[in-house]
Amino acid sequence: MNRHLYLRAYMAGIAVPTAFLIVPLTVFCIARFALQIPVPIERTLIFPMALVPNIYGAWNILYVGALQRHNWPIGVHGALLPFLLAPLGFLLATHLGFVTPEPHGIAYFGTVHFAFSHIAMVFPIGVGAYYLVWKYIVSFLNRVLEIGQ
Amino acid sequence: MKKRDEDNLRAVSELLKRAMPPVNAEPRRDLWPAMERRLNGERPAGAPWYDWALAGAVVAAITIFPQLFLLLAFHL
Repeated sequence: MNRHLYLRAYMAGIAVPTAFLIVPLTVFCIARFALQIPVPIERTLIFPMALVPNIYGAWNILYVGALQRHNWPIGVHGALLPFLLAPLGFLLATHLGFVTPEPHGIAYFGTVHFAFSHIAMVFPIGVGAYYLVWKYIVSFLNRVLEIGQ
Repeated sequence: MKKRDEDNLRAVSELLKRAMPPVNAEPRRDLWPAMERRLNGERPAGAPWYDWALAGAVVAAITIFPQLFLLLAFHL
């Protein structure tokens, strides 16, 4: 099954964040519509809903492309993705105006504050989570679609 | 059977042959390594200990600091 290799890689890549999107979407909906939080949090949905799944798909295409030349572990490949996603998310958030940099951290909507120490703690967690997700879930989907064998 | 019926059958047969993809008798990938593992009674390797440790650390961090989940959910 050598046809449409990159299309299959893209589909295997987007499947994971698309399936997990239900979690942040539910949290956002409950916060906005049930708890009536008076901040426009729907603006924050653009990045996780529109960009992240497509970036996952493109990242998996890149993995399949790299695999043709080198024996590149998928876990390490996935662990590199937060180094792209975190700055991208931050740039988009500051551009849309719901994140403002502060002297000791960042503020979401001017109300939720995160110190740099918190951010420094979140990033390795994200890298670890991405390593596991790519090593076990994306890799499983790739095997199902007969990619990377 | 009339000649016209035979012609029709032949035409239908040709159309069907053209519409159906040829059967590929070759397997899509080399099946022998998996069969060899099975014959030798090998079980697929489980996750190494450091992956379990990493999973535990991720779950513990999110449980201890649930507010950080929002940051993760948005940026990653």
